[in-house]
Amino acid sequence: MAAPRDFRGRPASPGRAMGPVHRAEERPAPAAGDPTGGDARAALAAAVQRAIAELRALSRRSAPESAGILDFQIELLLDDELLAPALERISRGEGAALAFAAAMTDQIDKMAGETSETGEADGEHGGPGDAFALRAVDVADLQHRVLDAMAGRTRADFPEGSVYVGRDMPPSVFLAHDWSGGGAIALGAGSMASHVAMLARARGVPMVVGLGALPGEPGEPLLVDGTAGTVHLHPDQRLAAPSPAMPLEMGAPELVFSGVAIAVSGAATAVSGAATAVGLFANIDTLADLDALDPARVDGVGLVRTEFLLATAAEALNEERHLACYRRILAHLAGKPVTLRMLDLGGDKALPGLVESDAASVLGERGVRILLAHPDLARIQARALIRAAALGPVSVLLPMVTLPSELAAMARLFDEEAARLARQGVPGVRPPLGIMVEVPAAALTLDLFTEARFFSVGTNDLMQYLAAAARDNPSVAHLHAEAETAMFRLLDHICATARRLDRPVSVCGDLAAEPRAVGRLLALGVAGLSVAPGRLAAVRAAMAAGPLPTGAGPAGARTEG
Amino acid sequence: MAEFLPVIGRPSAHRCQTEVEVTHGVGLHARPSVAFTRLAKTFPCTIEVAVDGSADWLNGKSIVKIIGARIRRGTRMRIRAEGARAEEAIAALSELVRRDFDEDRKAGRADGRVDGRPA
Repeated sequence: MAAPRDFRGRPASPGRAMGPVHRAEERPAPAAGDPTGGDARAALAAAVQRAIAELRALSRRSAPESAGILDFQIELLLDDELLAPALERISRGEGAALAFAAAMTDQIDKMAGETSETGEADGEHGGPGDAFALRAVDVADLQHRVLDAMAGRTRADFPEGSVYVGRDMPPSVFLAHDWSGGGAIALGAGSMASHVAMLARARGVPMVVGLGALPGEPGEPLLVDGTAGTVHLHPDQRLAAPSPAMPLEMGAPELVFSGVAIAVSGAATAVSGAATAVGLFANIDTLADLDALDPARVDGVGLVRTEFLLATAAEALNEERHLACYRRILAHLAGKPVTLRMLDLGGDKALPGLVESDAASVLGERGVRILLAHPDLARIQARALIRAAALGPVSVLLPMVTLPSELAAMARLFDEEAARLARQGVPGVRPPLGIMVEVPAAALTLDLFTEARFFSVGTNDLMQYLAAAARDNPSVAHLHAEAETAMFRLLDHICATARRLDRPVSVCGDLAAEPRAVGRLLALGVAGLSVAPGRLAAVRAAMAAGPLPTGAGPAGARTEG
Repeated sequence: MAEFLPVIGRPSAHRCQTEVEVTHGVGLHARPSVAFTRLAKTFPCTIEVAVDGSADWLNGKSIVKIIGARIRRGTRMRIRAEGARAEEAIAALSELVRRDFDEDRKAGRADGRVDGRPA
């Protein structure tokens, strides 16, 4: 049998797990997103063909009345007139999913508009029972079916329980995979500050980065020790084999925060009874995070990163998929407030076909800039958010806002979509809009954002922009720790300005999840902290200890870090 | 009532037109429209439809166009065809409208075919 070999990297997500190696393909990202080429046309054609095949299979199994409707949908998909506007958008440079979603949305709008215009005038057939109005519903249904077919195509999954071995891992691949059967991640490059590392920690998937050479051939057993930052090939040759593909120890949060004892059970009540009444909220990245979240133990959800919930362009452009996810979260929270952040794309957060992965875009198009540049995408999400707000207490966060005019433009977009839904008779509530405070220019001019109903400080991005040190570049990682003085001065300014505006500030970056920082954040007067479900216990305990006097100063607090 | 209008200078089979009144239920909603366009697509000639004296000729093979025309009961529908088997197409389509799209005969398969079939 092959000899055991050990590799050393850096820990990115604690825990140990073993499984067969799955080697990620090293070829460049598929050209699915090629905006002008025949690829977008081919992708659309393939998705349409798949949707037609599904509908035919359904039609064959259905009662005659349903079959009639399905035949109608098939006929629509076979109609070149329906696809022509989408193909025209593709020739103008749009990706397949965006072109199709936007063209169908236009078509639905047109149909709904015609219905409401002719509705009353036409006594016999007008109104909601209008046989001709069925079309809008059918087109919406088709839109979702084709986008689903497109999403299915872009998912390159790997066997459950295996160890993903590659240079790096796109968040969408992580999110498309079912981790409930165990498994781990071993990356040649990568960073513990990357989004995928954050996802792995939240999900309890052991992960090691920075291994350099990639260990193992497909199928070889690999043990990943995300706590020690090492991986071991054929470990069974040396030590008693752990049960394959099962995490040996999950989470191990005490490794990351060795100073913090697990919360005393009385801590939660102590905090909620405290005069400060600081809220403790959870961050949600995937619907699976809900399983680990006891809604009774939190004040709500402070941040839903929707770009992780909807990990492909086809899903992100599918209003019903958005709504289905939001509905799940709202149902789980049972009436507690939920803050949903609009798609924060750019940087390493790509949606192939819509937004390509590009490290340079960290200082380019990302967050609200992308939403404003792709109003079709923003409108789809805005509609889903407005519809979700009719189901429960929803607030909406805008990512990467730099100027008040960006907030104003999005506010207008929400007003327009709320009016459009009302015209179409779809229930909705225009949710309050807040902004992420993560661009220093916004942080320093917070008093100008009077339209914002609340603020949420994204400390990870704010720090990277403040220190001019990329969050996923290990060679400058030390600057983040040492620039903390600047960070706390700015946080102080943010909290003071927000108080004058009478708007709440919460903190949702990694800083909020560090028990040693919690006391100082409380002292600044934040209204809430929002952290990954796995960090709730530690932060709850730190909150129970109360605010740390500001006099302790940045230097005093930093020595522990 | 269909009158076949030969076009000057071309063999009569290549271009035809007729007019027929829609007598079916509410009109050309989803199912009748499917029957109409599916039948239209079985012919190689172009097929166009205009309603109630409108000069707008719509592609008779496009369900988007046909259903978008909101062709209600009582509408006078003009159908014209040009190209191979035009005469046959006009006869078949106007018959389909007169038979109320075979709605009673074969529910869900108004064109009488066994399976939905691409163009």
